[in-house]
Amino acid sequence: MTPAEIATWQARLPAAFGADARTRARRLAAWLAFAAWLGAALWWFGFSPARLWNGLSGLATIIRLMIPPSPGEFWLDILRGLAESVAMAFLGTTVAAVLAIPLGFLGAGNVVTNTLARFSLRRVLDGFRGVDQLIWALAYVRAVGLGPLAGVLAIATADIAVLAKLYAEAIENAERRQMEGVTAAGGGWLARLRFGVLPQVLPVMLAQALYFFESNTRSAAILGVVGAGGIGLQIAERIRVRHWDEVAFIILLMIVMVAAIDWLSGRLRRRLIGGY
Amino acid sequence: MLEIQGLTRRFGAVVAVDAVSLAVPAGQMLGIIGRSGAGKSTLLRLVNRLAEPSAGRVLFEGREITRLRGRALREWRRDCAMIFQQFNLVQRLDVLTNVLLGRLGHHRGIGAALAVLFGHFTAAERAMALAALDRFGLVETALQRAGTLSGGQQQRVAICRALLQQPRLILADEPIASLDPRNAQLVMEALRQVNRQEGITVLVNLHHLDTAREYCTRIVAMQAGRVVFDGLPAELTAERVRRIYGITEEEFEAEARARAAPCAAAMA
Ligand SMILES: Nc1ncnc2c1ncn2[C@@H]1O[C@H](COP(=O)(O)OP(=O)(O)OP(=O)(O)O)[C@@H](O)[C@H]1O
Ligand SMILES: [Mg+2]
Repeated sequence: MTPAEIATWQARLPAAFGADARTRARRLAAWLAFAAWLGAALWWFGFSPARLWNGLSGLATIIRLMIPPSPGEFWLDILRGLAESVAMAFLGTTVAAVLAIPLGFLGAGNVVTNTLARFSLRRVLDGFRGVDQLIWALAYVRAVGLGPLAGVLAIATADIAVLAKLYAEAIENAERRQMEGVTAAGGGWLARLRFGVLPQVLPVMLAQALYFFESNTRSAAILGVVGAGGIGLQIAERIRVRHWDEVAFIILLMIVMVAAIDWLSGRLRRRLIGGY
Repeated sequence: MLEIQGLTRRFGAVVAVDAVSLAVPAGQMLGIIGRSGAGKSTLLRLVNRLAEPSAGRVLFEGREITRLRGRALREWRRDCAMIFQQFNLVQRLDVLTNVLLGRLGHHRGIGAALAVLFGHFTAAERAMALAALDRFGLVETALQRAGTLSGGQQQRVAICRALLQQPRLILADEPIASLDPRNAQLVMEALRQVNRQEGITVLVNLHHLDTAREYCTRIVAMQAGRVVFDGLPAELTAERVRRIYGITEEEFEAEARARAAPCAAAMA
């Protein structure tokens, strides 16, 4: 390529040689706005290196108090709390995963062709999604009283909407030709969903439910803080009386538990996805 | 000069390529034909080392390709561009960037490699890409997403990408198997043009005997991993085909069509 040839091409198709001055100026402005916003937020919350440093030294004190971790006197309570958390996550996720299946089908554009019905359902689900698990937990504690039931309901309510949306997307990405095969064999729409779509999306659905179970065992710990059952209550109590060594023990147990669940569900997922 | 000597590749009990020896002079357009599973794809993949041989060797201008490692191997892959049946373009990138990907092998050093990751190709490279696209009447599509192009256009974009590698050799694995006749013709003509004008050696797997006869300067027929015919297009008469494969040419073509049909449907 001689310089003259390059210049010819540059004149003929300038857009191929990168953004023009106006686009570049706009990009720069966008980056500056982003930086300004970041700076403003930091200023608003009074972030300063000194405060960060002090916070870090406070954290260091806590960590010193945590060593060595100790089970304390009530280690049976700790184990029960942990088991309760896992059970809550399991129950809540299962309920959500099952209820989300019909909702997912109803929200999928290739199943429900009535746009108005689908649109309203999706907006309702969006509404549910906008409210966090913890808020649901607070509400359910008032409604059904303290204890794990409130936690299970909170997990289920918060996850139904998200899972339904993920399921709907998986269903929309299902291959059309396999459904056509079932139709051509004389199947009605229900048969089409059952045999043409469900086999394609079931492994994806199960894998997603497993992910949610995993992350719910983590978040179930926090639900106890507001009285919705599980290990959270134990942690909150021990923090209040500054028994940091026992807090550290609980945290270690939680890490081990989450790692175990992670490992197990990873194996299950691989088998599901591989075994199409 | 590309020399293949006693090249063998086994997959378990299957001998995909069985003691193949070929000498391909520079500038030849070599068509490789054969029924499904004859080992055509494996042979091409052995040449650019996407597959490793079980025995035998490949030499290019006296250099032993089957021994290359690391950077030398990457440079060899840059020097022999591959064209796939399914085009293998990045659908969400624009056509120009897809073509520029052919330059990746030419950017040496960490700085250059990093710059490329952020899309900084030089003006000369961009002009080169546009000139290549222009050659096949595709310059208007340069800023479009590759996924919006027809199959024939995508395959020609893939040829442009191959050209930007400035290769010594082009390996095309059934480049027209998922195209309609008109687009197939355009793609084959593009390959022929590249072969004649740049003098790049082309190895192309084909399943249409007539296409092979029309475009190639030499034809190799494979059966169960072995070379069973090697000669001029004119020598591959219907009679020879029947003797080699035990079926008539029409049956051979029908089989090839049946094989290509599911691919074409998958593209739709
Ligand atoms: N990665 C692999 N693992 C196991 N066997 C393989 C592998 N690749 C190829 N084979 C086998 O090697 C043989 C030759 O395959 P190859 O793909 O080279 O044939 P082909 O001539 O390209 O066929 P087609 O026209 O169908 O593309 C076949 O029997 C195939 O099953
Ligand atoms: Mg093949």
